[in-house]
Amino acid sequence: MHLARLRLRDFRNYARLDAEFAPGFHVLLGRNAQGKTNLLEAIYLAATLRSFRGAGGHQLIRHGQQGYFIGARAVGQATREIGIYWSAAERRLTLDRQKVRRLADYLGTLRAVVFCAEDLQLVKGTARVRRRFMDLLLAQTQPGYLAWLLRYLQAVRSRNAVLKRMPLDEALLEGFTDELVRAGEPIIAARQRLVPQLAPLAQSACQSISSAGETLELSYQPQVRGELRAALEAQRARERVRRATLVGPHLDELMLLLQGRPAATFASEGQKRTLALALKMAQAEFLTGAHGVPPILLIDDVMGELDQSRRAGLLPLLERAQHARGQVFMTCTEESWPRELGRALLRWEVAEGALKAVPA
Amino acid sequence: MGMTSLPEPVERLAAALGRLPGLGPRSAERLALHLVQSDASQVRSLAQCLLDARDTIAPCSVCGALTQSQPCALCADPGRDDTLICVVESALDVLRIHKAGVFHGRFHVLGGRLSPVSGVGPEDLRLDELEGRVRGGAVREVILALATDVEGDATCHYLARRLAGAGIKVSRIAHGLPAGSGLEFADELTLAHAIEGRREICG
Repeated sequence: MHLARLRLRDFRNYARLDAEFAPGFHVLLGRNAQGKTNLLEAIYLAATLRSFRGAGGHQLIRHGQQGYFIGARAVGQATREIGIYWSAAERRLTLDRQKVRRLADYLGTLRAVVFCAEDLQLVKGTARVRRRFMDLLLAQTQPGYLAWLLRYLQAVRSRNAVLKRMPLDEALLEGFTDELVRAGEPIIAARQRLVPQLAPLAQSACQSISSAGETLELSYQPQVRGELRAALEAQRARERVRRATLVGPHLDELMLLLQGRPAATFASEGQKRTLALALKMAQAEFLTGAHGVPPILLIDDVMGELDQSRRAGLLPLLERAQHARGQVFMTCTEESWPRELGRALLRWEVAEGALKAVPA
Repeated sequence: MGMTSLPEPVERLAAALGRLPGLGPRSAERLALHLVQSDASQVRSLAQCLLDARDTIAPCSVCGALTQSQPCALCADPGRDDTLICVVESALDVLRIHKAGVFHGRFHVLGGRLSPVSGVGPEDLRLDELEGRVRGGAVREVILALATDVEGDATCHYLARRLAGAGIKVSRIAHGLPAGSGLEFADELTLAHAIEGRREICG
């Protein structure tokens, strides 16, 4: 899969951009604050409809303008034209010039995995970050998962609202408990199937990056073991006091163990960086396995933060992506520019919201 | 008055129209401008229609559907089956099911569905009225025809529990594939429901 064309209008610092990209390894060079990461952000947005920097729509509009537009041509088994327009008054998402009615019909048109500084939160952050990591993978590979997840979250919100009503209506609580259980069980089951498939990929990525040959284990820790309904029953008294749903897959954890010990507390800064990178590599490998084609890899200046040996560990993944006629976009500055990737690079210079091909 | 603002009565009309469901400020303004430039007799007759409709239409005291007479024609019809009650969310749903012409029992409009996040609880729905009708004796089956989202489904679970002691059958309408269409148009949840709710066929 690759991105053949990208058009931006009033997106971040780009007033207007029209660029064509071949499959292969693209390096976006430029000084800081020229718009390198903004390009990756636009590609990621076209793939997931979210900013990997957690930015809302307003922040993505070029200063003083009404709305932004992203046009993308995704070439996979078929060629699809993506159009995204966002302004305060209007949001428009089109696929081949037709309005998209259901998100599930759209997601998967363009698949991308981003490597960025925020990845460190996968190791350091709260369980919510790791749940999102599992959910994103499942939503992209398992039909129906996203629908169950949205339904489950709606059931949790509704049930919490019931628990906050005074006096507590038991029958009403039961009605929403039924829905919570119905949507929650397939989510737990899907995560339970995912983690054993993901764990060996993360372990082998970790081994290839870290010279020390450390072992990384992923362990899915569903907050509920056994029947969800029985667990909810058991928490009834506490729920009544706390007035919120206290058990369920919205509180699950994906535990990371380095050499058998919890990584969040025992790993060094360098090891945490290794683990975060290994998780992202596992994500890319898993998506490749599930769809038969590699996702587009977006690498935001992480090479600069990695030492020589960790960079070397990442290279095979990047080369494989390229080999399978995939695509890699990597930002770097003149200083962090990875010289070991000398061959067959497509170089671009980014300066003040403009993109210029650099002859090899 | 500046050149850019509309005369005050037009502004007030636009504001009143803008409170109607489905009308944004721009459409409300366009309608208001259209009305003040229309033939006066047409506008007068529109106003009369609004008043007439509002004055003569009321919810049916039995089923809650919209009617001119009490009880409504469907509740008064002696030819309909008193042993079946079909429970729907809105008066419009009554028309939809009635139009399909396949249901010959009575109706009951809830006036919404349980929605704790928007503050709609059991006391806001016509549930006591439903229980009263069920306790009346003739009813043998209550058919729930509600939406299939979280709130609609939770309302069904709730009703099933609440009516459980009444010694009647509580069922809900099947959900699955739209008639006459292929599997390719169904989303995953719909297919899951369709498989769950499969039926044996005789060969």
